[in-house]
Amino acid sequence: MKKTHIPKLDDFIGGGIPEGSSILFCAVPGVECEAFGYQILNGIIEDGHKGFIFTNVSEPNDIIYEFSQYGWNLEEYLEEEKAFFVDGSSNFIGVPPNGKYSINELSQIEGIVLKAIDDVSNGVGVINNLSTLIDYLEEDKIIEILDKWNKRAKANNTILVYIFTKWGYEQKLIDTIKNSVDSVVSLTSIEERVIIGQGFMVTSASWTRPQNNMVLFFVLQPGGVKIYIPKILVTGPYNAGKSSFVKSISKKSVSVERMALEKFPTTIAMDIGHVDHNGFVADIFGTPGQERFDLMLNVLSKEAVGAFIIVDSSAPQTFARAKEMINKTHAKAIPKIIVANKQDMPGALSPEQIREAMKLDKDIPIIPTTITENIGVEEALDALLKLLYGDTK
Amino acid sequence: MIKTIESGIPGFDELTLSEITEGGIPEKSTTLIYGPPKTGKSIFCNQFTYHGLLNLEPCLYVTTDYGLKQVQNNMMEFQWFIQNYIQNQSLYIIDGISKLSGKKIEDTTNIKSSFVRNPSDMMVKIGIGTRFVYKKSNHFRSTLDSLNTLFIFNPPQMVTRVLNAYLRRITEAGGTCIIAYTEGIINPDTETMLKSLFDNTIKLDGQNIQIKSHFEEEEEVTNYRSTYKITDKGIVVKKV
Amino acid sequence: MIPCIESGIPGFDELTRSDSGTGGIPENSSTLIYGPSKTGKSIFNYQFTYQGLSHEEQCLYITTDQSLKQLEGNMFDFQIPIEKYIADKTLYVIDTTSDISQGMQTKTETIVSSHINNPTDIMVKVGSGVKYICKNNQRFRSVLDSTTTLLAYNDSMMILRVLKAYLMRVNEAGGTPIITYTENSADSMIETMLKSMVDNIIKLDGKTLTVEAMKSIGKRSSKYQITKQGIIL
Repeated sequence: MKKTHIPKLDDFIGGGIPEGSSILFCAVPGVECEAFGYQILNGIIEDGHKGFIFTNVSEPNDIIYEFSQYGWNLEEYLEEEKAFFVDGSSNFIGVPPNGKYSINELSQIEGIVLKAIDDVSNGVGVINNLSTLIDYLEEDKIIEILDKWNKRAKANNTILVYIFTKWGYEQKLIDTIKNSVDSVVSLTSIEERVIIGQGFMVTSASWTRPQNNMVLFFVLQPGGVKIYIPKILVTGPYNAGKSSFVKSISKKSVSVERMALEKFPTTIAMDIGHVDHNGFVADIFGTPGQERFDLMLNVLSKEAVGAFIIVDSSAPQTFARAKEMINKTHAKAIPKIIVANKQDMPGALSPEQIREAMKLDKDIPIIPTTITENIGVEEALDALLKLLYGDTK
Repeated sequence: MIKTIESGIPGFDELTLSEITEGGIPEKSTTLIYGPPKTGKSIFCNQFTYHGLLNLEPCLYVTTDYGLKQVQNNMMEFQWFIQNYIQNQSLYIIDGISKLSGKKIEDTTNIKSSFVRNPSDMMVKIGIGTRFVYKKSNHFRSTLDSLNTLFIFNPPQMVTRVLNAYLRRITEAGGTCIIAYTEGIINPDTETMLKSLFDNTIKLDGQNIQIKSHFEEEEEVTNYRSTYKITDKGIVVKKV
Repeated sequence: MIPCIESGIPGFDELTRSDSGTGGIPENSSTLIYGPSKTGKSIFNYQFTYQGLSHEEQCLYITTDQSLKQLEGNMFDFQIPIEKYIADKTLYVIDTTSDISQGMQTKTETIVSSHINNPTDIMVKVGSGVKYICKNNQRFRSVLDSTTTLLAYNDSMMILRVLKAYLMRVNEAGGTPIITYTENSADSMIETMLKSMVDNIIKLDGKTLTVEAMKSIGKRSSKYQITKQGIIL
């Protein structure tokens, strides 16, 4: 089995892709898809295997540039012969080809890719983009070629990753293509008049019963494919350590889609941060702790998908207030973690004591932290991610 | 009464005035502007775009025939200066062809480069661009100039699919779009099918302008005809 | 007001004079010269090239029908002394008529050969040519004579792509390109596509020169003759 290095994907497909299998990323037009292929290739090469990219839409140099934008060094792999190109795009536009193999005529594609599959035994091959082939070959021929490639891949233990844009083809053709591969990952758009999000979901896998949750994602430069958690709330009584918590889990260098942020007025004093952790990116909103802002809590907490409630473990008189805030922020209904902060203070209650004092359900994790010393912060983050998406390891 | 937006072409809105429409381009509709080479289709598109910008209607501009620099120069010939609108981000440009000139375009928030040979990538940028202009105003325009270069770099069926996806994206968001195309570059059947995808078609043949509009409520297609000229201020339609 | 460059064809600049005063070929725009065969299209190109060279504008000349020798001979017939400009390297020639058996050799820095069957190589040479010319100054001219031959020897759609790249490269580098085409030599869709790819269209039918399209002016025409000095309107 080989890991895909796409966050959560490996978990959904039982740990990874078995050697010799084929996986199709089927994207609705408008949804980013190339990055999935490139990220898998990058990961598998980093794990010590070989890979190739068959491209008929972008020139090799542009792909090298894109890799560098993601923070991956394809140029080095090419030099070290860990990766090579099957260039099916340069000759088409009248530019000198650039790659171990180049395609001058349609009829060569089948044979050359077969060679490439042999060359990367136990590695990976990325086909970008299958849609571009379809118009040049008849339907039967396409399926025939796919079968040949997949068979050869199995014989060589090579993983094949197909990038496919689901234009308005006949459903029959789309279904036939999907049935020709071992696994299909659907990439769709979440729309409200315009595309407001992108998601991926495993719709089939021949070697396991796939988990078919839909997961929101972004493609970041640098970074690649990351799971997106739109809004995590950080709330709690005044002075429990909310600001410190937001600062502690946020990384300034990540730029995340700011759509959510623009909905909020900037007049309210709020902590806003961005998290980039273990393949997840999220927008964090810290709510004000003072009671005079409570009317806003309702509004601010809408659409939050998870929450941290920070409490001062050494100030049990604030627990009632904490519970009140949980109720006011809709945090009742969403996955949440209680962060029992200030564990270093004298008289700090333990998580179990806090659970009893606040009469909290056993299901709600309470993580002890001392934020000022960065203790427990990562554990709290992992705990919430686990609640949201299951085991994240 | 069918709501319309101002075309920006003197004489056009008056020509298309009728009992059911206020004259101009019907809002949220799709329009194909076609005709023989060099009859002013690009000019019409630019004029339409610029007029929208003047009216505070942002525009998603997809250019496949001309690179960004050429678009700016083309517009300048008619005193349509778009630099300000690029700066205030009401003009969102997707340049699908500059790559061929060897020039690297630095992508910014509202200028994106792509390549006509990679329609998937173009659609990703069109998706992002649509969202961008929609957030600025839900009265926005979109221009695609033109289908020609798409046909040079992709098989006709692919261009048709991309066109469908593009039209759907814009109309879903409530924008009004115009797409240019030179008649006679693909086989007649495909061309006829292409024209049928649009709510309105405008034909510029060098002298005459012919507008056909297919309104939802009406069964028949409405026809308007007149002559036009290309002046140093752009296209002017003769009042009938 | 678009700046124009002098065409080098007597009478042409007067014919194309716009309200703002100047005539000629709009600078940095692309032009298609087409018409039946033997109507003087190549001669137009010689004069256009010479006008530039004699005024310190370099020229990138891609020839598909005539070898460099033939070109020199023909230009000489119209009293255009081309050897000077070959010698001082202001004329950059890409000769695609080279014999396969000879292989592709670069003869000098500014005289290179390629092959009509290899548009990719031609484009590489165009790239080098443009780069060489741009070292000196911005303004230059370019001639591709003719697209008909290119279309005849290669897949038409591929040639359209290559031509698009050629026009864009020359435009980006600040040049003013002319391409020629023999009417009806390719199918009508290709011909229409060709016309849509350029800014200006000039037709030479043997008797009349018609400017079918040109930036900032409308359709104009004039009778012309081919004399010992070339085309005169």
